Order: sequence, then C-alpha cells, then structure tokens
Amino acid sequence: MTGYTPLLPEGILIGVAALVILVGLFIEKKKILGYFTLIGLLASLGLTISSWNITTAYTGAPFYGAIVVDPFAQIFNMMFLFVGILVCIAALDAYGDHKNQDEFYALMLLAIVGMMTVALSKDLVALFIGFELASISTYAMAGFDKHDPKSIEAAMKYFLIGGLSSSLMVFGMSYLYGLTGSTNIDTIAAVFAENTALIGTPAILLAMVMLIAGFGFKMAFVPFHMWAPDTYEGAPSIVSSLLAAGSKKMGFAAAFRVFIIGLIAMKLDWYIAFVILAVVTMTVGNVLAVVQKSVKRMLAYSSVAHAGYIAIVFAIVAYPYASADATGLAVAGGILHAFSHAIGKAGAFIAVGAVTYMLMSKNAVDGDPNHIDNYDGLGRRAPLTALLMTIMLLSLAGIPPTFGFTSKWYLFLSAIKGGLLWLAVICVLNSALSVYYYAKVIMRMYWGEPKGDAFIEPPMYLFAMTIAVIALIALFFVPDGVYYWADAAAHALLGV
Amino acid sequence: MIPLTYYLLLAGALFTIGAYGIMTLSNGIRLLMCIELMLNSANMNLIAFSTHINDASGQVFALFSIALAAAEAAVGFAIILMIYRWRAEIDIENMNLLRW
Repeated sequence: MTGYTPLLPEGILIGVAALVILVGLFIEKKKILGYFTLIGLLASLGLTISSWNITTAYTGAPFYGAIVVDPFAQIFNMMFLFVGILVCIAALDAYGDHKNQDEFYALMLLAIVGMMTVALSKDLVALFIGFELASISTYAMAGFDKHDPKSIEAAMKYFLIGGLSSSLMVFGMSYLYGLTGSTNIDTIAAVFAENTALIGTPAILLAMVMLIAGFGFKMAFVPFHMWAPDTYEGAPSIVSSLLAAGSKKMGFAAAFRVFIIGLIAMKLDWYIAFVILAVVTMTVGNVLAVVQKSVKRMLAYSSVAHAGYIAIVFAIVAYPYASADATGLAVAGGILHAFSHAIGKAGAFIAVGAVTYMLMSKNAVDGDPNHIDNYDGLGRRAPLTALLMTIMLLSLAGIPPTFGFTSKWYLFLSAIKGGLLWLAVICVLNSALSVYYYAKVIMRMYWGEPKGDAFIEPPMYLFAMTIAVIALIALFFVPDGVYYWADAAAHALLGV
Repeated sequence: MIPLTYYLLLAGALFTIGAYGIMTLSNGIRLLMCIELMLNSANMNLIAFSTHINDASGQVFALFSIALAAAEAAVGFAIILMIYRWRAEIDIENMNLLRW
C-alpha cells in the first residue's frame, strides 16, 4: 500500500459520519443509522487489523510525513475502534429511540477519528488537530443528556478543563517550535540530539512543563485529575466509557510520541516528573476510589489510578540504567495495559449504564442511580449483567484469568527488569489496595439483599459487555498476537 | 524591528492573565474569554517564532489553532446556553452537583 491508502480506516469513518449526519436530517427511524455506524466501525477495524504491520514512515509518507502509519499507531487505532464498537452497540439501547441519536453517532465517529489522528501523527500540528477534534466532539457528547443537570455540569467542567489543557499544550508546543524551528517530532528529536546546549535551558523546561500539564489533564494525572471523576460521573455512562477508554488513551498516545520520540534527549529532566506523577496518581486514585459511594465515581477514580500504572512506562524509558530490553518491554507492557484497561473500563462503564437503564425503566430510582445500594443483590436481579461486570472488575483489579492480569504482569515485570524494583513494589501494593473496592462491588452484587424484582436485561448492553468479556478472557489465554503487535509497536516507537 | 523577547514577554503576560482568570473567575463567558486569551497568546508565540526563524510552518500552526479555537468556542457557548436554560444564570460557582 502506498500514498494515502493506509489512511482508509480513518477515511471510512469520516465518510460514515458525514453520511449519518446528512441522512439523519431526512429520516424518522434513526436507529438504522446506528447499525450503519457499527458497520463502518467494523470495516475500519478489519482494515486496521489486516494492515497492522505496515510502516509508511520513510517511503510515501502521507501529508509530507505529518502522518505516519506504523504498528504503534495501528495498535492504538485498534484500541479506539474496539472501544467505539462497544460504545456504538450500547448506544443502540441507550439512545435507540432518542430523537437526536444520529448526532451521537456522528460525534462519536468524529471523536474516534480525532483519537486515531493523534496516534498517527508525527507532527505537532497534526497532533494538535487530532487532539482538538476528539476533545470538541466529546465535550458535546458529555452534555448529550441535555435535560439532566449532572450531564450539563459534567460537560461544562470537561469543557473548561479541556480548553485549559489544550491552551497549555499549544503554548508548550509553540516553545518547542521556537527552539527547534520545526513541528515535526523526528526533526525536533534530531535537533535536540545535535544541539545539546539546548538541554536544560529554562525555555525548554517551560515547554516541557506545559506539555506535561497539557497531556496530564487528558490522561488525568493527579494534580490535573479533578475534572475526571466529575465528568465521568455526570456524563452519560456510555460517553464516560468512551472518555475513560478512548480519550485517556489518546493522551497516552500523544505523550508517548512527544516525550519518548521528540524529547528523549531531555529524559533526565522528565524522568523525575513522571516518577512523581505516576506514584502520586496511582496512590491518590486508589485511596479516593475506596471511599466512593457511587459505583460510577469509583470507576472514575480507578481510571485515574490506572493512568498512574501506565505512567511508569515513562519512568522506565527515561531511567538511565534501564536496558534496551526493559524499555522495549515497558512500552509494550504500557500499550497492553492501556488496551486491557480500555476494554475493561469501557465494559464496566457500559455495565453501569445498563444498571441505570434497568433502574430507570422500572422507575425504581430514588436519588443517585449509580449509588452502591442499587447494586445490592444484582446477581439475582440481573444475573448476566452482574456476571459480566464481575469479570470486568476482576480484569481491572488484575486477577487471572483475565487480560488485566497479563498486561499488569508485563508492565510491572518491565519495572523490575529496568531496575526500578521499588516502583514495581509500589504498583503491586496499589493493585492490592484496588482489589478491595472492586471486591466490595462484587460482594454487594452477590451477597447483598435484593431490593426489588428481577430486571429485564437490555440486550444490546449485554451484547457489548459480552464482547468485552470474551476479549478479556480470550486475550488472557492467547496473548501472543496482541503481544507481538505491542512489541512491534514498542520497536516502532523506540526506533530500535 | 522589535526583538523576539518582547513578543514572548507579551504572550507570557497574556497567558498569565488568562490562567489567573481561569482560577479566579466564575462567570462562564469570562472563563471562555480567558481560555481564548491563553490560546491566542500561544498563537502569538508561534507567529513571533515563525518570523524570527523565517519558517512558515509556525504561521500555518497558528492558522489551524485559530480555526480550532473558534470551533471550541462554538461548543463552549452551546454548553453555556444549556446551563442558562437550566438555571437562568451562568455562574459556575453554583454548579456543585458533582463533588468528591
């Protein structure tokens, strides 16, 4: 494949989004558009998986090298598309008779295109455009339940913090551009490698702090995490699953590209920043998740904690005594953990959405539908939902036989191999703490007293959760394919 | 010709004013203006650098950034409008349904 053909997956999504919004103007029964969106996403996923190992970096790179298709971009794209498929299936139930559902599908597709652009970009301009495309679409999605005050508040908070993060990011990028004279990440890396006098100057430190803050808001690292629990709790559940599983991974894709390629010469400077951020993020996320009464908010804080686990990748890559093997394993492990967290968290938020849906359909809600009291006896009231949610929570906690265990294993192993044993110990202790609050929900679901009759479980929600659970279990038993892919992605990223 | 440093100082000052406003103000429109101020200070940096090193890509970046800021403001105003319909005010200090 040459020229622009490797970008066909993104092209399909843009075309489907345009068609959905156009056809949506003229037809009454809009649910069909949801199936159409699903077909587009599946086609895009198929194309991405079938071309997983292509590299366009050196020959025939589209857009003058601003966009590069390599295994690193493809594995992130696969992740975003997978999450998109789960969200789209769940949306068929959640918004199946909403009068503006076509806009939901179009916004979701555009958000996914934005995320994919970020993963593909090797140029700060393209990266910024992708970032904003994903952000702006998801601002509107967070406020999609426009008669629900919580959804509006979530959208407002997300919008303000998102705007702040993109202005910090573009300010940092402007300094990077000014110092190096280029917006291409490879060229930036080359300039820094050549001109070592630039390293450690106040201007580059300023740019780095701005970029860490800008990406940190998206990835919800701890001093920048305040918006995340609010937005994930207030936004519609399926949108939260797109945010936690997609938007956050987009931040990681961007940070991997910018820091591990562009600013690798400054690694001693950002090593300490990322070590502190990682440790603080996972600890604060886990501790605050323990005290939550709302299951959705608990998942949001656990998502913050997982950002902390993935952030150790930066620490290992930047650690001066880490071997090349260990850094490769760290990046691969980080990507795998991002993937397992994406599936598990998207599925768990969809499960929360299913519970809310079932409660709403019975008008059995007093107060917050996400409150843990509503999960009492869910094992008897909605057996399939409870079972699927249990498996996803086990995966998030990192308990076999789920993919969450595999990915955590590789990630923490890379910390040990890289010589950062103490960091691995902190991660494992945090993981142990996290089991408590996941187990609490599972206990309430199976040993709590049910407070009502059985529910009729919504089929599409169940279908989405089943796909997520099958993926989690299948990837535990057969991790080879995705592991080789992640390994190739790590090699593509590290350039070794 | 005005030296590059002056542009950078002005952009830095604008950025700081924007950041200060985000932290202290509570009116939705003012917050939106502060975000715009911060984005535009970055654009100013880009253009100043672009002229200084005689390379056009910074100006292209600034153009994209302006277009995206406009799109962002459009969505922002839509959200603020929703808040206004709900509460007949746009003071975000009073938005405290979601806490801890």
